[in-house]
Amino acid sequence: MQHEQINKPFFLWAHLNKLRWLSLIFVFSVLILLPFLHLYQTYVAAHAYDLLTPDQKGIYDTMEWLTSPLTDNPETDLNQLKGTTWSGTIFGLKLSDPLALVGQLAAGLSIYWPLVLAALIPAVATMIFGRFFCGWICPASLIYELNETLAGWLRRVGVPLGDRKFDRRTKYLVLGSGVIISVFLGSVAFAAVYPPAIVGREIYYAIAQGGFGAGAVFFLLTILFDLMVARRGFCRYLCPGGALYSLLGRYRLFRIKRIVETCNDCRKCNVVCEFNLDPMHDDFGQECNNCTACIAVCPTDALTFTVSIKDSPFLGPGHLGHEYRHVSHEAEHETAAAS
Amino acid sequence: MKRRHFLKRFVYSLVVIIGASLPYGMSRLLAPATRSDRNKYLRPPGALADDAAFIKACIGCGACGEVCPPRCIEFYQRSGGSQVNTPFINPEDKGCILCGYCMEVCPTNALTVTPRNEISMGIAQIDRSACYPWVDRGVCGACVSVCPLGETAIGFDFANFYRPVVQKGCVGCGLCVEVCPEPSLPIRIVEMSGSTVTPHRI
Repeated sequence: MQHEQINKPFFLWAHLNKLRWLSLIFVFSVLILLPFLHLYQTYVAAHAYDLLTPDQKGIYDTMEWLTSPLTDNPETDLNQLKGTTWSGTIFGLKLSDPLALVGQLAAGLSIYWPLVLAALIPAVATMIFGRFFCGWICPASLIYELNETLAGWLRRVGVPLGDRKFDRRTKYLVLGSGVIISVFLGSVAFAAVYPPAIVGREIYYAIAQGGFGAGAVFFLLTILFDLMVARRGFCRYLCPGGALYSLLGRYRLFRIKRIVETCNDCRKCNVVCEFNLDPMHDDFGQECNNCTACIAVCPTDALTFTVSIKDSPFLGPGHLGHEYRHVSHEAEHETAAAS
Repeated sequence: MKRRHFLKRFVYSLVVIIGASLPYGMSRLLAPATRSDRNKYLRPPGALADDAAFIKACIGCGACGEVCPPRCIEFYQRSGGSQVNTPFINPEDKGCILCGYCMEVCPTNALTVTPRNEISMGIAQIDRSACYPWVDRGVCGACVSVCPLGETAIGFDFANFYRPVVQKGCVGCGLCVEVCPEPSLPIRIVEMSGSTVTPHRI
């Protein structure tokens, strides 16, 4: 009973994973909504409702219904929210992916300060919260996680799917080689291989530009890689953005910490971790994206958030593991004796 | 023994480095470089004059296309090699209306805010052996009436009404190309330094 009094995590932490799913779905649906809003804007700008096809009229009416409470002048007002997670504008504030900045620096070998400012807010947030973009915002992450669920079902049915382990540090090499390739090619090479950039762009291409581009094929290949070769393989081993965020978030402030007194060594956190980290042995490292899946799954509430720039070293086996079994045995004996 | 060890490590690291650059090669293969006709692939207004510098600066976010009211900005979707995902305007599909939203939304220096009469997407060039009024096949003036910049960009020939003449103020928005009723498109957008009259060798 003593253990429950000390170190009980704040009750909301266990529900953050649901919030994370909501956030991922919200970002994805906004990415789908924005191209339709753009189409609506162009129809408004054309001032020719009668010339639209029935499909276009449907888009027009739906978007008008959606936006009419918010704005009387959709033609210009809807420009306040534009772009994708790769780079976008929110009410005049430009936000860019730090990887876009790195790619542009490498390609042009020159600094454009407005882009640095645009990438500053995400970069600072990454320094504080770690690789949170991967788990909370990345539109590709949603698809990869659903893909992972599908893989789980397929495994249950009995389809043999690969689960190879590679070196986690490969992605830093991908980041490095991307920088070098950008320098030699004279173009931002990351834009074509970085899944969140691809997903946002391809949704826009498919809805407003009349068809998917080359990135969709590349993204499909990464999904197949995840499914057939390695679980969440692209994020774990290859994503250059993940590598950059891991480096930025190395000394992040908010990290997950195991409460050794209440841990019962059940390993559920290790199994659920998308990035193949080792929460049970206090090994979160720079690649934890604070997705809180391990907090949500923990049966004894032994994982919580802490403010610290370093992980604690291995604290030893969970104390509850021992006593838990011991106590439950005793309880069984008692009930057996009572009956 | 030592040398063999070194060789092994060398080969291993080479394989890893090649594997790490595989995604980039793959994405490059999916978008093969193609020769693009300058007249059909104009850069959006306010673009850097040097096309190589433009490709270096553009991060391929697609924001310029997402704000374009006439949806004239298209992208190299499945081709273009290293310029994949960069924007272009094909005036034969849709011309630019010079609204300037794309210049405002661009997060990089690929598109910079430029006054509309200083934009340099190109200059219109008229083929005087095909344009209807120039070959006395009727009156037209569509290009002159659609031009957003007025008489500084395109006007009528002084002596012969309805024959369009491109002036030095043309910025190459391409609306005249979009609107031209002659199927062979005697008007097209060429480089800024080009001639306003299609040269013919006899």
